[in-house]
Amino acid sequence: MIRTEELLLNVGPQHPSTHGVFRIVVKLDGEVITEATPVMGYLHRGTEKLAEQLNYTQIIPYTDRMDYVSAMTNNYVLVHAVETMMGLEVPERAEFMRLIVMELQRVASHLVWWGTYLLDIGAMSPFLYAFRDRETIINLFNELCGARLTYNYMRVGGVKWDAPPGWIDKVSEFIPYMEGKLREYDKLVSGNEIFLARIKGIGKYDAATAIDYGLSGANLRCTGVDWDLRKAEPYSLYSRFEFDVPLGQNGDCYDRYRIRLEEISQSLRILKQAIAQFPSGGETMGKVPRAIRPPAGEVYTRIESPRGEIGCHIVSKGKAEPYRLKFRRPSFVNLQILPKLLIGETMTNLITILGGVDIVVGEVDC
Amino acid sequence: MKGLFRGLGVTLKAMTSPKVTTSYPDVPFEMPDRFRGIQHFIPELCIVCNQCARICPTDCITLTGKPNPDPEKRGKVIDTFDINFEICILCDLCTEVCPTEAIVMTNHFELSAFSRDDLFKDAQWLTDNNTLVRKDNNNIGAPAKGGAK
Amino acid sequence: MSEEEKKEPQESGTAEAGEQAKQKTAEAEADPEKAAKLKAAAEARAARAAAKAAAEAAEAAEASAPPAPSPKQPELDAAAALIRREVADEALEEVYINELNGHMPTIIVKNDYWRSIAELLKIENDLTYLRNVSGVDYETHLEVVYHLVSLQSGRELTVKVKADREKPEVSSATPVWATANWNEREIYDLLGIVFTGHPDLRRIMMPDDWVGHPLRKDYEPLDSEV
Repeated sequence: MIRTEELLLNVGPQHPSTHGVFRIVVKLDGEVITEATPVMGYLHRGTEKLAEQLNYTQIIPYTDRMDYVSAMTNNYVLVHAVETMMGLEVPERAEFMRLIVMELQRVASHLVWWGTYLLDIGAMSPFLYAFRDRETIINLFNELCGARLTYNYMRVGGVKWDAPPGWIDKVSEFIPYMEGKLREYDKLVSGNEIFLARIKGIGKYDAATAIDYGLSGANLRCTGVDWDLRKAEPYSLYSRFEFDVPLGQNGDCYDRYRIRLEEISQSLRILKQAIAQFPSGGETMGKVPRAIRPPAGEVYTRIESPRGEIGCHIVSKGKAEPYRLKFRRPSFVNLQILPKLLIGETMTNLITILGGVDIVVGEVDC
Repeated sequence: MKGLFRGLGVTLKAMTSPKVTTSYPDVPFEMPDRFRGIQHFIPELCIVCNQCARICPTDCITLTGKPNPDPEKRGKVIDTFDINFEICILCDLCTEVCPTEAIVMTNHFELSAFSRDDLFKDAQWLTDNNTLVRKDNNNIGAPAKGGAK
Repeated sequence: MSEEEKKEPQESGTAEAGEQAKQKTAEAEADPEKAAKLKAAAEARAARAAAKAAAEAAEAAEASAPPAPSPKQPELDAAAALIRREVADEALEEVYINELNGHMPTIIVKNDYWRSIAELLKIENDLTYLRNVSGVDYETHLEVVYHLVSLQSGRELTVKVKADREKPEVSSATPVWATANWNEREIYDLLGIVFTGHPDLRRIMMPDDWVGHPLRKDYEPLDSEV
């Protein structure tokens, strides 16, 4: 007699495609998943507990390490929250530097996502092309603030470094180069029949589910919901620039893929406008009191990081350290839909769906 | 099939484009001036204000001072200055708050060691580490001297 | 707000400077030039103090006039009226505007009514998107803060639910907004608040056999260097 059993498989913490130390315990019936339970916490470093003993400038290097692929947006959410609480004004040149840096970071983060997603699916060349282009952006950041990944660039009231001479010209040379590369990447991948067969129709969900699960970023916009924090709740200088927000219709992995690639070209468009309007002089730091002590109260600010809505909830008692600092991390919230999406899928589609959600485990665990 | 061939065309064209690979470690990697590598310490400029130890997010700097041996001058002179390089995250907040620029970053980043003892850098090592010192330190845009707590 | 803080160190600065000045006048009576300089400095200080007193008086006069009503006040009143009408009159403990946070309407509700209020807010008030759930440990009690937003109109609301320290229990919002699931698990794990009605309440960040709730203020870490 042949007897079939369910197999309990551990897509373990050490796995090349889980984008970090992340574990999924999967119950398989043949090759079809019947239940999937994500297990996380392998990268939990207690940032929120540590933050209760550090003052705000000291927490900025810690925020770099949460979503390490997109560190500038992490810096910004903390600094923006403190500035909102204290009512500080940031000089225009500093705000422009912040915006340029955040949009470059968005391009770099989406390139990492693109390269690693295609590597998970099986294509080897796009990974190296993406990292070659990301190297240009990383070198620009290296010249600007002295580090390639953990920048520690923004400060409460402004930014630390001004652009070195020639830096803005290098950024404006990068933009047409990247636009040409995007066309090449389109030719390379987007028409590929094998790729389309693997991506189209996988991991579908509708708008009501997406809103209920609190998804954000490309995961929400692939269902057609027009919610981009740069347009809906504008922060920094985004209201001055013209750009479109790409939307999908079907809510599957292919729509998410197309939206992220389109977001790269929209970011390049914002960069072009920002460089054209860049002020020629100005301070990089506003008027900041010597000791940064926000008044007692609480605040929740949020910005659009490449992964979705990143938020910072600070409860302050008027001291130099926060009383409670909580980060709303997009990868953590976006991952909740994974157990629901995986039921009935095959093992190969697990990797496709997981890659499409675009998580960074440093952010899932904080 | 057509999509596959278009993609293949892109890859084949990339074979003829210039290579971007560098031959590190045979060819040393040039870091820009602002790169945050291991610190360089200048004991003559240090006034033992303790700002660097207070701002360090990971508490890796420990220092002690002694009264100035020269009876004419006031103030303290640095006695020992250690950086625990196991926990230093190279964030350069210490250079930002130092009022005299006694501690600055260099461009050295190749610092692996075979034993953990080598990673505890004392004042002598930090003073001797005076090549590739960063020139652009407390630039345009840093907060006012003695800024953060 | 930053200006008020700047005034405090200046006040203490002038008090200390006053004491030092008394010492210096004792020393300087021998030296007429120094005495003149000190007199000028004392006069300047008096002038600054007088100007500051005048400014403070002006501010006090301004503050005694009632502050302008917040632009979000009508939203808050509408939401509060809706809750009082549909659920219960005593369900709301406190209703205020958080001016620091861009005038965010905030309500504090009692735990017994939280579940029905949540359903009401989602269906009637169109607050379908739960952005963030945070737990805060005030030393006297624990609190859970829910940030809600309406995607259609951009309206926001913050809801706080208080919980006892000894036996912290809050009704779970997971049946209403599915996104609260892991958020509430994280708060349970790190702060120890039990969410009644949660489908799967277990630890998420810490290992499953961990004892204690790390984010609490009175948590003793196993390793004292951490």
